[in-house]
Amino acid sequence: MNSALKLVFAGSMGAGKTTAIRAISEIEPISTEVGNSDRSEFDKDETTVAMDYGELTLPSGEKLGLYGTPGQLRFDFMWQIVATGALGIVVLIDNSRPDPLADLVRYLSVFQSHAQSGAVVVAIGRMDTHPTPNFLDYSQRLEELQLIIPIMPADVRSRADVIEVLEVLFHQIEATDHQGPDSDDWTSFIHTLSRQQ
Amino acid sequence: MTRAIPEELKANFQLLVGALHARVQSVMGCVISTVDGRLVSSVVDNEADPHRLSAMAGSMVALGETIGREVKIGRSQSVVVSALNGLLLLQRVPSKRDLLVIGTLARTNANLGIILYETRNTATAVAAVLDEWLDKFTTAT
Repeated sequence: MNSALKLVFAGSMGAGKTTAIRAISEIEPISTEVGNSDRSEFDKDETTVAMDYGELTLPSGEKLGLYGTPGQLRFDFMWQIVATGALGIVVLIDNSRPDPLADLVRYLSVFQSHAQSGAVVVAIGRMDTHPTPNFLDYSQRLEELQLIIPIMPADVRSRADVIEVLEVLFHQIEATDHQGPDSDDWTSFIHTLSRQQ
Repeated sequence: MTRAIPEELKANFQLLVGALHARVQSVMGCVISTVDGRLVSSVVDNEADPHRLSAMAGSMVALGETIGREVKIGRSQSVVVSALNGLLLLQRVPSKRDLLVIGTLARTNANLGIILYETRNTATAVAAVLDEWLDKFTTAT
């Protein structure tokens, strides 16, 4: 059994990394949330300072470890620690932030090796209330960075949305020939999850 | 908690941190940060960046507490990083509200027991200052 199936959720504070893991984990997630003293960055009571951890079981019995990173830039030392050995990375972008395109560039540069090998998907939240930047802006920025990465809207509170993001990520990983779960395995996994909703 | 910690409070913390540094010869530095890793007060002799140290202190204390819970050994009292050229001891500031953590950086010749004792004393003193301020603050508002 390969226990190295590790997926990472990264992105800015308040983008919904902890929420996304909660939405799909089949165990009670392990979290490191503490009181938020920085309401100017994001107005919420608690914030992750070390990591989140959740789990999903694939039909083959393999466990998929779901890891979340802390959002604020001062925790960038944790980003690399958590991303080491990850099969893929979901970058969550919050479109209500002052400069979401700069956020995108920052996270993709931190996870450069994953981004270049196609093991990254970008999920954009709060696009309904904050329509700019739009998809064209995002694709232009990715083009400038010479990266081919899927971008999609997602409401991470919705289990269906998070699963769709993972589906895209896994197809992308397969397409770029990584050591992921094989496609039958993954397809049946998605079907199992979809039936549970 | 207010966004900016009052200067008066920071100054008092700074005195306590400075006193620990002056009192214990093997101490290279001491940092107080918010539980979510923002620098409040510090004194550091070596090249360690107090802002980075603060963020890491927040992460380590929270991770230590999560690990204590998960592996059923109860509430974490402190986290120690024992390195080739020194040690770092991290713990929560035991105030009524969980707002701050403290980290002490010490040289290799440091005695862990003394660092534990001195850090705990400083943390208790910081907590007393913070609690007194919080009491005044709550009465005033």
